[in-house]
Amino acid sequence: MTSIRIVDLEKRFGEVIALSDVNLSIEKGEFFTLLGPSGCGKTTLLRTIAGFHRQDKGEVWLGEERVDELPAHRRDTGMVFQNYAVFPHLTVFQNVAYGLQVRKLPKPEIERRVSAALKTVHLEGYEKRTPDQLSGGQQQRVGLARAMAIEPRVLLFDEPLSNLDAKLRVEMRDEIRAVQKQLGITAVYVTHDQEEALVISDRIAVVSGGRVQQVGAPWDIYKDPENLFVASFVGKVNLIAAELGEAAGPGFRMARAGSLQLRVPAPEGFDGSTVTLAFRPEDAVEDPQAEAGNLVSGKVLRTSFLGTVAGIVAECGGSTLIVDRHHPRAGDIPAPGSTIRLSLPTEGLMLFDPVDGARLRPAMPGRTAGGAG
Amino acid sequence: MSAAAKGPPRQIDVWTFVTLGGFAIVGIFLVWPLADVFRYSFTDKESGLLSFSNWLEFLSKKYYLRAFLHSMFVAVSTTALSLLFGIPLAFLTTRYRIRGSALLNTVAVLALLSPPFIGAYSWVTMLGRSGFLRLALDSIGIHLPPIYGALGIVLADSLQYYPFVSLMTAGALMTIDRSLEEASENLGASSTRTFFRVTLPLVLPSVTGGALIAFMMSLSNFGTPMIIGGNYLVLPTLAYNLFTSEVAERPGMASTVSLVLMLCAAAIISLQQWASARRKYASMLVNRPIIKRLRGLPSALAHAVCYCIVGLSALPLAVVVFYSFKNTKGPVFIKGFGLESYRQILFDVPKTVMNSFTYSLIAVALIAVVGTLLGFILARRRTLAARILDPLLMIPYIVPGTVLGIGYIVAFNQKPFFLVGTSIIIIMTYFIRRLPYSVRSASSILRQIDPALEEAGINLGSPPGRTFRTITLPLMKAGIISGAIMSWVTSMNELSASILLYVGRTMTMPIKVYLSVLDGFFGTASAMSTILLVVTGIALYLVNRWTGKGAAQAVVGV
Repeated sequence: MTSIRIVDLEKRFGEVIALSDVNLSIEKGEFFTLLGPSGCGKTTLLRTIAGFHRQDKGEVWLGEERVDELPAHRRDTGMVFQNYAVFPHLTVFQNVAYGLQVRKLPKPEIERRVSAALKTVHLEGYEKRTPDQLSGGQQQRVGLARAMAIEPRVLLFDEPLSNLDAKLRVEMRDEIRAVQKQLGITAVYVTHDQEEALVISDRIAVVSGGRVQQVGAPWDIYKDPENLFVASFVGKVNLIAAELGEAAGPGFRMARAGSLQLRVPAPEGFDGSTVTLAFRPEDAVEDPQAEAGNLVSGKVLRTSFLGTVAGIVAECGGSTLIVDRHHPRAGDIPAPGSTIRLSLPTEGLMLFDPVDGARLRPAMPGRTAGGAG
Repeated sequence: MSAAAKGPPRQIDVWTFVTLGGFAIVGIFLVWPLADVFRYSFTDKESGLLSFSNWLEFLSKKYYLRAFLHSMFVAVSTTALSLLFGIPLAFLTTRYRIRGSALLNTVAVLALLSPPFIGAYSWVTMLGRSGFLRLALDSIGIHLPPIYGALGIVLADSLQYYPFVSLMTAGALMTIDRSLEEASENLGASSTRTFFRVTLPLVLPSVTGGALIAFMMSLSNFGTPMIIGGNYLVLPTLAYNLFTSEVAERPGMASTVSLVLMLCAAAIISLQQWASARRKYASMLVNRPIIKRLRGLPSALAHAVCYCIVGLSALPLAVVVFYSFKNTKGPVFIKGFGLESYRQILFDVPKTVMNSFTYSLIAVALIAVVGTLLGFILARRRTLAARILDPLLMIPYIVPGTVLGIGYIVAFNQKPFFLVGTSIIIIMTYFIRRLPYSVRSASSILRQIDPALEEAGINLGSPPGRTFRTITLPLMKAGIISGAIMSWVTSMNELSASILLYVGRTMTMPIKVYLSVLDGFFGTASAMSTILLVVTGIALYLVNRWTGKGAAQAVVGV
């Protein structure tokens, strides 16, 4: 078990800044995910930890050892690759044994570790197969077994599931999580799939434009995003440009967008008048009986049915909003053209600075809590 | 390793020395000899001063210009005929079921790879002054002129080089996504319209590519015009004649003609590069075209066309093999069959046979090792040095053997490299002429190997050298070996450079064939040629076994 510390890391490719100001501290045994869109720098960060890129500035620590000057083959990190990178000319056994042979372990020890690793990934009996006889999922299992057989200080996953089909992806991600917890090896996992990140991780770092946007537990990342990027990259969100108006009771102000009038928590230390108002589709309650709170009525434009959820797109006071209706029953989904009434609970509303995207937090957070749990 | 190379501070490692070695080889054995040729062409023969006198002479005398026009005529005609033979053959064998099409393919490749002078000499025995076919036709009242001259060269060249067109076109035809043609027909186009509006445009870049290679090969061919050309001089034979007869100390005119030849070749190669750069159509989809089955007359016609084309190109080879078993008495053939000609070779010139094998095998070992290492640098390390080395390694593509031979004689006849007359100089010509093919094939194999495999090796704790040995090299093995076999064949059959460089004790089989033909010893020439053909056939078989793909790709994978 080893912790990982990244200090002031910077990496450029020519003129392009791939990473800057990266500071991370990953705990022993933690499952840590780097989440971001393609080209955001998450893979570069992972490869810098592995030693395939040399940083331009900063430090990489594995436990008490500073490794940023070590060549890749001496870093003792087990990497699982996006395209498996299973050696096609070696059998499954030889693939898993490769790193052990490099370490000059005695033969019985190699055999013991290979079969233990293959057992963990459910590939017993496949020792003599060659990679071309394996499916994609099986090849990735070989990749995982190969990486953990060397008992590395940390496991590195570079989008390991993105080449698998949807069903297998779900199966494998649970398996990876289980294996990692069983072995207790610190893991850094790169993905662009936010659902995957939420499910698999202990903590997530959302990366964009070469910078870490937010680090936190999946719950915090989703429920309490620190900026507009995190809010809109993780999960769906409705964004409304609004004008802040008069005070509406202690700690609250009115916000106006078109003909919408909403009572929102007053942001602290913010003297601008325009804000970006955000709420998640599931936080709007469709409630024809409600009489108090932020009531909004609108005209249904279109609907979509996704099984457990129905999405309703409605035009409300000049804004186009998406709201979710969970577990819809027959007759629950309104027809296009019909009118719906929505209530937008204050605790589901988030405010962002429209200029730099920073979250604008209310003066007294205690006043808005309660709905979050 | 690729990733390690991206780090800012470049460390000196094994690949640094490989790069330096690459520069040394290219500098000494390529740039320097060619620089000498360049220098002599701009040096006055008499005074030794810088001058354009050679070029003025070239441009003002009909003798030289005529050779240039001859070369163009031969190359253009050969290309036209190659298209005429190649396109129908490719289309018929890929789109219709032709019985024995694998055999046809093999025979075509064999004809392509056989030493060029064999075909020429065989056509001479058939249609030359006393050619048996010509005499036979004469006796039934069909009078043909002897084959010598432009006609003979074009006949021999086109029947040898059309497979470049047919193989590349067939390759493209097989990788066209069937859906494209289906889409065309679905939109209402007839199958004829589909062929001309969809299929042909899609394969056109490959057709052009093949045609340009045929043009290039014909342009730089030396053996064929030497044997069958008679007084019809083309640029390579002109350069050879000038060089061997120029009494002056400075081979000014031979160098000038060489440069003209290289300029033409460079123009063709750049056209070919341009054409192949546009070859982006080949789709990776496995929606392969359907092979239709023909019946009745159409089927018979299709078979007839294919077998006629390939049969015609195989005819000279068959004749050579046939003559090798005929009994001889000195230069004349007598009745009966036997192994007399082979006995003569083994007893009279075993050294020549040995030389051919020794030189070509040493050259191939060098080519495989150096080519693989340099290929790695080009594919995996995009350093400035690698980017300079890359185009330098392309030079041998545009240097006809005759030109390289001339360059070697003038460059290595002086200190510090006194190599003229040694076996080293012949081995080095084999090596240099084939090196770019090997480098290119190694780097293209490497580009198909996912760098993540090497990274996985390194990540598991294996140092770069060990990773190359245990991961990269095993994955490249099949490609390296089949490339080496192809190099071996071309080296065994090399004539145009070695004819200038050999001395008595460094004689090789192609040179002996050429000299035997000149002296009229057709029996020995046939037997020697047959041995070369058998070697070529064995090599083809080996490539087939190693790659399972046939030699077609190795041949056209320029």
